[in-house]
Amino acid sequence: MSDKKWKPQIVGFACNWCTYAGADLAGTSRLKYPANLSLVRVMCTGRIDVSHILAAFARGADGVFVGGCHPGDCHYLSGNFKAQARVALAKRLLAQFGIEPERLYLEWISAGEGTKFADVIVQFTERVRELGPNPTHLELG
Amino acid sequence: MKKKEKGAGGDRKIGVYVCHCGVNIAATVDVSKVVKFAASLPEVVIARDYSYVCSDPGQRLIVEDIEKLGVNRVVTAICSPRLHEPTFRKTLEEAGLNPYCLEIANIREQCSWVHDDETEATEKAKRLVASAVARSALLEPMDVREVPVVPEALVIGAGISGIQTALDIADAGFKVHLVEKDPSIGGHMAQLDKTFPTLDCSACILTPKMVEVERHPNIQLYAYSEVEEIDGYVGNFTVKIRRKAPYVDWVKCNACDECTSVCPVNVSNQFDMGLSSRKAIYRAFPQAVPNKFVIQKTGVPPCRATCPAGVNVQGYIALITCGKYQEALALEREANPFASVCGRVCSHPCENECKRGELDQPIAIRHLKRFIAQEGRGSQKQTSPPKKRGTGNSRKKGKVAVVGAGPAGLTAARDLASWGYSVSVFEAEKMVGGMLALGIPAFRLPREALQEDIDYITEFGVELVTDSALGREFTVPELFEQGHRAIFLATGAYGERKLGVPGEKAKGVFYALDLLKKLNTGRSIKIKGRMVVIGGGNAAVDAARSLVRLGAQEVTILYRRSREEMPAYSEEVKEAEAEGVRIHFLGIPVRILTKDGQVVGLKCQKMKLGAPDESGRRRPIPLEGSHFQLDADAVVVAIGEYPDLSFVTKKASLDVTSWGTLVADPVTLETNMPGVFAGGDVVSGPATVIEAIAAGRRVAISIDRFVKGVDLREGREVNLQVVTEVPGLAHRPKRDRIAESRLPVKKRIPGFAEVTLGYSEKEAVEEAGRCLNCGICCECRECERVCEPQAIDHALRDEIVSTQVGTIVVATGFDQFDAQVKPELGYSQYENVITGLEFERLSSPSGPTAGKILVAGREPKDVAFILCVGSRDETVGNEYCSRVCCMATTKQAHLIKEKNPEANVTVFYTDVRAFGKGFEEFYVRVKEEGVVYRRGNPSEIYKKGERLVVRAEDTLLGQTVELEVDLVVLAAGMTPNANTEGVANLLRLGCSADGFLMEAHPKLRPVETAIDGIYLAGCCQGPKDIPDAVAQAKGAAASAIAPMARGRVRIEPITAVIDEDLCSGCRLCEAVCEYGALSFDEDKGIMTVNEVLCKGCGACGATCPSGCIFMRHYSDEQILAQIGAILSHVR
Repeated sequence: MSDKKWKPQIVGFACNWCTYAGADLAGTSRLKYPANLSLVRVMCTGRIDVSHILAAFARGADGVFVGGCHPGDCHYLSGNFKAQARVALAKRLLAQFGIEPERLYLEWISAGEGTKFADVIVQFTERVRELGPNPTHLELG
Repeated sequence: MKKKEKGAGGDRKIGVYVCHCGVNIAATVDVSKVVKFAASLPEVVIARDYSYVCSDPGQRLIVEDIEKLGVNRVVTAICSPRLHEPTFRKTLEEAGLNPYCLEIANIREQCSWVHDDETEATEKAKRLVASAVARSALLEPMDVREVPVVPEALVIGAGISGIQTALDIADAGFKVHLVEKDPSIGGHMAQLDKTFPTLDCSACILTPKMVEVERHPNIQLYAYSEVEEIDGYVGNFTVKIRRKAPYVDWVKCNACDECTSVCPVNVSNQFDMGLSSRKAIYRAFPQAVPNKFVIQKTGVPPCRATCPAGVNVQGYIALITCGKYQEALALEREANPFASVCGRVCSHPCENECKRGELDQPIAIRHLKRFIAQEGRGSQKQTSPPKKRGTGNSRKKGKVAVVGAGPAGLTAARDLASWGYSVSVFEAEKMVGGMLALGIPAFRLPREALQEDIDYITEFGVELVTDSALGREFTVPELFEQGHRAIFLATGAYGERKLGVPGEKAKGVFYALDLLKKLNTGRSIKIKGRMVVIGGGNAAVDAARSLVRLGAQEVTILYRRSREEMPAYSEEVKEAEAEGVRIHFLGIPVRILTKDGQVVGLKCQKMKLGAPDESGRRRPIPLEGSHFQLDADAVVVAIGEYPDLSFVTKKASLDVTSWGTLVADPVTLETNMPGVFAGGDVVSGPATVIEAIAAGRRVAISIDRFVKGVDLREGREVNLQVVTEVPGLAHRPKRDRIAESRLPVKKRIPGFAEVTLGYSEKEAVEEAGRCLNCGICCECRECERVCEPQAIDHALRDEIVSTQVGTIVVATGFDQFDAQVKPELGYSQYENVITGLEFERLSSPSGPTAGKILVAGREPKDVAFILCVGSRDETVGNEYCSRVCCMATTKQAHLIKEKNPEANVTVFYTDVRAFGKGFEEFYVRVKEEGVVYRRGNPSEIYKKGERLVVRAEDTLLGQTVELEVDLVVLAAGMTPNANTEGVANLLRLGCSADGFLMEAHPKLRPVETAIDGIYLAGCCQGPKDIPDAVAQAKGAAASAIAPMARGRVRIEPITAVIDEDLCSGCRLCEAVCEYGALSFDEDKGIMTVNEVLCKGCGACGATCPSGCIFMRHYSDEQILAQIGAILSHVR
């Protein structure tokens, strides 16, 4: 169903303290990963609302990635756990909308884990590629 | 939704500046296409590219556009905002634009550097720029927040880096709180002998700085302390520091060192890297700062925690090891006056919990107790408590009555008498000791052994009234009438259970306790023929063994379950069998067979075991049709005892449980009658001696409180912090416990001579030496006796100190790589394989060998050094170079040659890195001294006689070499301090891939962290030698001083704002805020934000169901606009 030229679009949310810095480290280390991901920087993954995730899918994103601090490392103590809960909720909603929950992916990546960031993005992009294009356009009010 | 804070000047005029970054961006991203794209985006008035936007001319472009074109929102498509956001915010400010009207598209770290394909990278750069432009259109100007800075700094860690940082900040005139986890400051540098390449003595250059720290008026030193909690932000951190209890009052301690000579506990000396031992009370090293002693405690040892009476087992065992038997006995008797008795018949639950049991076998605690009971008596003066004894009316605290002279009653009597009460003990029998005297036969507990303990107790002035039973000679109300202020009922459990089978009334049926009582009171017992004892407890076994001694032809124990379920002590069961007692398991009597009213045998039934019952033992179930017969001339019933409560009357109406025991509060042991306490078997039912003793102690405390009118319960239910793990236990050498000698069976019968013979002094000391000292300090309090300034205080507790600081410097240092991770190198397996730090201690004049390089008492002639142990080694997860080992090893090689010019020294290396000032020169000099450098990594070290063989491949020669040496020194590298993760979590700092704490930028911000106001110094950030560590410390100090000197700092104005019109006051946001920044306004029925407390994480914004929380700088519209822009050309 997907032609060879199809380029999945992935929106990423990354917290300022851990994952965004980890992505920077991947860059400084010149690690390579597919160019399908664009990051939106937030201070904390706890800022990410289910509506942000749904909006991304509604506007055609093929995958959404959320990257936060490891448990215990959150700059704001527990924002990462809030994100974890909201991602779980969003996954259930996605399934009801006919979108595979696997298109939404949460991972803990610290500021020192440049390699992990690159690896995670390589794997997630591949998974989204296998899933094919976002099957639906949600009409959110 | 439009927000109130509308940007100045209505229309958006966006300027976009795309950076080439030389070729860093331009090589992969087609900058001109990105600029063209940017220019086409809505509200963009100008889009430019420049080779280096961050350069002065680059910044000038922006300033000019703001001034001339009226650009009011700026997008720079450059490197990471984490690098240049502050730079461009300043640029905007200079041009008169609010600094928060800036947005950065990260097209370098997150685009050009991570993608190869130019088309794809350019497309992505466009998306990132579109996202930034969309966001910038929605950015609102914000007021810059400035806060005052507390002019004090916190420095965590007092190695050379922390010391230098503290001194520099303090010299600049600011107060420093210096926190060190160890008792002394100095860190690893204090352990070193000489320093490379100048060979100056490490201690000589360090100790003056240590002293300076102590004397500096601006430095508040918290030694033996840890930072527990940090809150706040740059300029205003709140710090909680835990001052660990040193158990020595540091104000009083004068460092005279008298305490260490009497401390019986030896532990490995970590300052000497385990090459020597130190005492539980210690000072890290003679030049320690502060020069004070501490007592190391790891918790309550399991033996003591398990003992119902809480006997200080580790304490008396430690005292045995140094021959202090009297002190040991005195310590034992503090909790348990029945040393002699318990040394023989205690059920020793302590031994079951002994940690040594996890290695080989538990310490023979009971045997050791018996040893001190005997050997410690020496001089009564010393073993008896120092209190002056008196009797009767000379006591001030009043009269107390104890009913029952068993272990519970006598223990309470001893305690109360020693506290000044006048105690009378009433005993129904003619002899005292209760079940100890009446129920236990002399071959297990000789009468003299019991008498010793009773004599000790009566020495306290306890009055014993025998032949005087409660309910017979006196009643409870009468005792009160006689002026006793409290009464302890410890009447035991002397009723004997009946079998309840036909024939039980026949001649020849005896009851075990009755039989043992007769035996113990010297009444004659005539026994002959075959005996069957029914039961499986200690009374049954005692009775059976007594019958053997009385001349029975054949003794059989009939027990309804199997050996595993027998409640009798297994060692006693074994002895009984050795003495000829047969045990018939899985059988019950159903009828006693008689002839002419005389027992002739037993009709029995076989049993099988079912599921476990309430006691955890498997329940016996009768097997149908499995009857069998045992011939017997007499039957002894030993199936249990119960308390005789005939004294409970209307006048003394004590509550009784359904099991027929007295009701008493589990903590205070008070009965339903005020002032009447009960404990021991009368409350618990038949139990062990030590449990009775424990009850006695508990009641004594309750009575003392009752008489004083103090709350009986307060503070008594304490949770003991029990030692659960002994570090390195599995690596200790195994050594079995020493068996106690026993009387040969032939010599035991007939007669009632004691079976066990006790330890000799040599055996006792050796067995005591097996103790692991789980709690480290054994609380024997020997140090208290010799401490002239009376500084020892075991009651000290950790203290939490709270303080405010403006800046924080982390200087928590490193750990040496654990060479055991590389087993092929034989470390910890061969004693002549040591690490670099161990070599430093050997070589140091203050070390365990006073500076002589001695291994197993000999000076090594052939020495090999191995570099890169745990460094540059992916197999152990450390890819990095530890940076100091090459030169440290070169220095150590020189020290060997200096001390013994004849020595042959070979260094195995991968590369020699001599990069610092004077390093190469030093390396050349040491080579000229005759030290051989061979390139190659040893693959194996093995033992050959007393010596070692190092097998390696010489990679220059391409040959395998085998070198025979006397000593191998492993240049074990530096690893992140074991608690780095804890420090990182505490301060919310990141770690780099090597595990060390991460700096803000590897080149330009090497001492800053991602968090404003927190800086790094020394090896916590990565391996460093001393000059580098000191240099970084000075850098960190300068950085930490800057905000304090300015007096004010800017903080991000990113906070939550509540839309008062929309807020419904549902308070959901209140629950998600970690900082308590949101509170409910009762009058308005809405939420309010405390901007000082708000940290701007945005969790509340994501929680608000009505969307009325506006996050400044990260609003929903801004985030959604970015998402929309990224996806704008999907399909």
